[in-house]
Amino acid sequence: MWSRKSAMLGSLAVAMYLLGLTLRNEQLVTIAVVVFVFLTWAALFGGHADVASSGRRAEEWSGEEGLALSSVSAMRKLSSARLFEDGELSVTLRMQNESPLPKILEVKDRVPEVMRIKEGSNYILMELGPRRETFIEYTLECPLRGFYSIGPVAVRIQDPFGLFHKEKEMHVYDDFLVFPKMEDLKDTFVKSRVPKIFTGAVNIRQPGPGSEFYSLREYFDGDSFRAINWAAYARSGKLMVNERERDAVSDVIIIVDSRAVAETGPVSRNALVYSTRAAASLAKFFLGRRDSVGVVVYGDEVVSVDRDTGKKQLYVILTKLAGAVARGNIPLQVVVNRILPHINKGSPIIFLSNLEDDPTIVNALRDFRARDFDVTVLSPSSLEFEFDAKRIDRTGYEVMKTERDVLISELRGLGVNIMDWEPDMLLSTALAGARGF
Amino acid sequence: MTMNKPSGDTSHLYDGKTVRSSAPSRKKLAGQAGLGSEIPKDAIPKVEIPSFIESLLGGPLVTKMKFLAPDRMVQNLQLGVYGVLVALSLMTYMVSPPEGTIWYMVTGNLAIAFIMQLLIIAVAAGTGFWGTFQRDGRYTLISNLLFILAILRFAASKVSLASDPFGLQDSATMLNILVVVYAVLLVMYFELANGVIRYSMLDTSIRTNEVYVMNPKKIVSKYHRSLIINPIVAGVLAIIVLSANTILPLIVGIFSSDTALRMEESVELISVYGVALGTFFVFCIVGGLFALNLPNHLQRFREKRAD
Repeated sequence: MWSRKSAMLGSLAVAMYLLGLTLRNEQLVTIAVVVFVFLTWAALFGGHADVASSGRRAEEWSGEEGLALSSVSAMRKLSSARLFEDGELSVTLRMQNESPLPKILEVKDRVPEVMRIKEGSNYILMELGPRRETFIEYTLECPLRGFYSIGPVAVRIQDPFGLFHKEKEMHVYDDFLVFPKMEDLKDTFVKSRVPKIFTGAVNIRQPGPGSEFYSLREYFDGDSFRAINWAAYARSGKLMVNERERDAVSDVIIIVDSRAVAETGPVSRNALVYSTRAAASLAKFFLGRRDSVGVVVYGDEVVSVDRDTGKKQLYVILTKLAGAVARGNIPLQVVVNRILPHINKGSPIIFLSNLEDDPTIVNALRDFRARDFDVTVLSPSSLEFEFDAKRIDRTGYEVMKTERDVLISELRGLGVNIMDWEPDMLLSTALAGARGF
Repeated sequence: MTMNKPSGDTSHLYDGKTVRSSAPSRKKLAGQAGLGSEIPKDAIPKVEIPSFIESLLGGPLVTKMKFLAPDRMVQNLQLGVYGVLVALSLMTYMVSPPEGTIWYMVTGNLAIAFIMQLLIIAVAAGTGFWGTFQRDGRYTLISNLLFILAILRFAASKVSLASDPFGLQDSATMLNILVVVYAVLLVMYFELANGVIRYSMLDTSIRTNEVYVMNPKKIVSKYHRSLIINPIVAGVLAIIVLSANTILPLIVGIFSSDTALRMEESVELISVYGVALGTFFVFCIVGGLFALNLPNHLQRFREKRAD
């Protein structure tokens, strides 16, 4: 393939040749001839004879890359196929030259645009000896959740003057998954008031047979001797028994708003990023408490992860959250109507949304409250993200802020535990705020 | 820009990137209703539209990259450019006498034409020096164009010299060689000046960790070798190609000596048109070789031989 430089030289030579004939100037024709010869020599013998080839007669020649590049192959190895946001991924690319001739190669391993090369380089210029291989190592920093692919590997071979080159894209792809990062929560202040009898033990805020301490009370006839707290007896002189929290299944439903509007704000600071991180942290916390957690992500479609417990469920949820893309504009009412028949009355529901552009939010949450669901809303404020990024001016900000405050007050009036989650606020603080602590 | 950020904040990774796409927001509309109603700069994706000239040439004419201080390789190339520039300026002055120049055609005054020609050569050399020193492609390009302008002469079917201290004018072969050497110097000047920019870009990319170069000495030595071999080969081949008007009668002479003699004495063949005709035939052959995919066959042959 001709480079810009060779195209310019070629055009110059043609122009000089024709001008030389027109002006009957032998010097111009001579310069043109020298340029032509220079180009021809570079194309034919510039170290990589096939760089300028354009014909397709050779039977062995398959594809666009030409002979010189057909003997170059690449393989890649990733340190991990799954990692968390802000994690690091080590990539090892093995380049092999199966040809008996050395080659000067430019190799670029294409990485997703949002990734940053932390160590090493994905762009290498090298001389690869005959029948040799080399390893290219670099480390990627993965700041955002999602499904990503590394590849293809672009290889270029060119003559020393950069006049002609051949490119080949080796379709070697490696996929990896970046989970949203999680915050360690000590308490979420969210507990079910409704006991269930299915498997899975969870504390509900009622005394009963369980494993966690709830309170002390005086001994009554019929209480088990094993429940007597002898230390308390020694202190008070009265027989005291330990009461334990009643263990029961608690279904926790986390609803994540991933409509197009959820991505308002900078790439790394928007409601969807905050919501997915919060959902992951909450799921981890509840599953650690042996709750049954279900997740609903809605945007252009309603994607749900059915309630379940255990570590496996956490990874199922994390995978769904990693793949959440800001798309569509399904109203919350549609989601509520769909999931309402399937969730247990009184279960805690945590709704993560910026509460933007959805007139059905109030009615939908009223439906939940009317059925006595414990609703917690954490609302990352897109307004703050936009204002911080200087995308809206002060007047616009004030107007929208007032509108948002009115909506939040209205929801609070319905008995919804709601918190206007500001960008620099920790999730645990936001939760405590929502629950009135 | 990355200072004083909280540890969990990764927004600095996006500084200067254009990967964002904000969802349509009514907040944005509210923002526009206020005092500062212009759309934020980062809300509009960056679209690079090449200018007419750039689109003709297939990309930006001059790189906007800022180079780091030149390393030894770049400095050596710069010295090479300076040397070639001096030689080229002298040669340009020699092979382009003021007679027949545009300035002589316009003014009809030999003195003015002489001054103009000298001025153009001086400016071409000056901009070349400055462009190479500053590593600014714009000046180099101006210098290239001025050198071409200096050689543009009318009615000069025969090569004449402005200054001939060695009496080369008397020998057609020497004159031919002189012009070829001049042409090779011009091409080498183009190449070396471009090499300064190219290797500055590469050096900057290496030092900013944008690209990693394995075994740079081998790569550089290959370039150095090509800088010596290619001009020699180009010069020799060009002399052969330009001697087509001498070679053709020789070949024809095998079959008919009369025709060969007539060809040798033919005005058409020894004029610039003869040179052009010979060149045309030679490049038809080269074109044919390309059409037959000779480069691929050559590569295959070399690989087989290496096996």
